[in-house]
Amino acid sequence: MSKIMVTIQDLHKRFGENEILKGIDLSISQGEKVAIIGPSGSGKSTFLRCINYLEQPTSGTVMIEDKKFAEPNQKANEKHVASLRQEVGMVFQSFNLYPHKTALENVMAALITIRKIPKGQAIKIAETFLQKVGLANRKDHYPSQLSGGQQQRVAIARALAMEPKVMLFDEATSALDPQLVGEVLQVIRELANEGMTMVLVTHEMKFAREVADRIIFMDGGVIVEEGEPDTFFTNPKHPRTKEFLQQVGN
Amino acid sequence: MNHLDFKTAFEQLTPSLLEALGLVVTLALLSFVLALTIGMLVALGRLSKVRSLQVVLIAFLEIVRGTPLLVQLLYVYYVLPEIISYIVGIWVPGYHMNISAFTASIIGLGVNYGCYLSEVFRSSIQAIDKGQLEAAKALGYTSRKAMWHIVIPQSIRIALPPLGNYFNAMLKDTSLCAFITLGEIILKTQAYASQTFLTIESYTIAALIYLIVSIPLGQAIRIMERRLRRHV
Ligand SMILES: Nc1ncnc2c1ncn2[C@@H]1O[C@H](COP(=O)(O)OP(=O)(O)OP(=O)(O)O)[C@@H](O)[C@H]1O
Ligand SMILES: [Mg+2]
Repeated sequence: MSKIMVTIQDLHKRFGENEILKGIDLSISQGEKVAIIGPSGSGKSTFLRCINYLEQPTSGTVMIEDKKFAEPNQKANEKHVASLRQEVGMVFQSFNLYPHKTALENVMAALITIRKIPKGQAIKIAETFLQKVGLANRKDHYPSQLSGGQQQRVAIARALAMEPKVMLFDEATSALDPQLVGEVLQVIRELANEGMTMVLVTHEMKFAREVADRIIFMDGGVIVEEGEPDTFFTNPKHPRTKEFLQQVGN
Repeated sequence: MNHLDFKTAFEQLTPSLLEALGLVVTLALLSFVLALTIGMLVALGRLSKVRSLQVVLIAFLEIVRGTPLLVQLLYVYYVLPEIISYIVGIWVPGYHMNISAFTASIIGLGVNYGCYLSEVFRSSIQAIDKGQLEAAKALGYTSRKAMWHIVIPQSIRIALPPLGNYFNAMLKDTSLCAFITLGEIILKTQAYASQTFLTIESYTIAALIYLIVSIPLGQAIRIMERRLRRHV
């Protein structure tokens, strides 16, 4: 049996009076690709953001390998959280590249500031990862000089350069023009083939089915149904899953 | 009215005004450094989540913005030393504090402008998309590191043009320091005009000296603004 990379136990998240996540348990093995789907407002992003503690859970535990972000019901220690976050890469819907830095500088900033890698070496690493996403020739461009698809690929390179053990994608292609979606999906697909452990929140059902080992359907802050992609899409069990898949035209 | 004698006024007054200009620029630079420091600290304090600190800072801002700069200069120069002397005098009998007009000017201008600059810093930090902070945190930055390495450098770009404009305004506001006996441009002009009765000439030359500095500076700020707008 392969190693467990992410363990989530009885995760709850509340914003004021609203309980958004109502008890989620999930284990993700090394190399596994998990796709999370579900209606808007069901808590997918919130869940993903709890996995790297960008959102501090109200209760429950999140572990990366054998390291907890915080003991249950205790306040997280910021330094510890920050250091554990280095093992979890995240790609946002809105790219969030640093607009004042070139592609290369975007990728190398954390290597220098956080990893304390000497500049010369950081440049080499950054170039390698830009190469990997097919943007070696764009390294001196600013985000404003890149297409959305290129920006998202730089953002992926930036996350990968920290050599995370897990990658989180929150609708990485939703902000892109349709003709730019393919190039980003291709990068994610290659990453999947290399054995990266990933959690993807996505609206691209076809892609989820192709890349994921497991599909998770969330609704109302809980996991309603999960399963292996082919079975999940051809033979959903839960009525809410069926309804959702019908609505998205699957 | 006598006819104007710009030639005499120019020859006699300009050298001393240029010297005073040197003093004014030095004063403005030092005061601005103080204002930048106060401004950034107050901005960070107001953006922090410490409630009591916010209350104190807001009160401080209200007081400074609610009173004229001139009153603050007079206060720092004439009143503050008295108060400090009185308090210290309780322990050290006969103590009397002296403050130079130059030091009082730096403090007065620095504190006053610091309050206005804090608003520039605060709004420029708030103008940075929350996603920037999150992206940095997701890469392993603590909030503090993300602030200093990612958010503030971007906000400075937004803040630079208004900061430049405030500096330009401060250069001109140094003229108020004449009221606390600082030998700057206006005080020297006044002295010369009252001796020679070349009133029109003297004050016109003084005005020109401000313009010679202020107009190019304003121009430079506009150029900077255009450049900075490229990658935000
Ligand atoms: N910081 C916050 N404060 C208050 N409420 C929030 C916050 N973040 C999210 N929510 C609420 O939590 C609920 C779930 O949001 P979330 O973004 O996780 O949904 P989602 O499944 O990702 O939706 P979508 O498919 O539209 O991205 C929403 O009702 C949202 O308004
Ligand atoms: Mg979402």
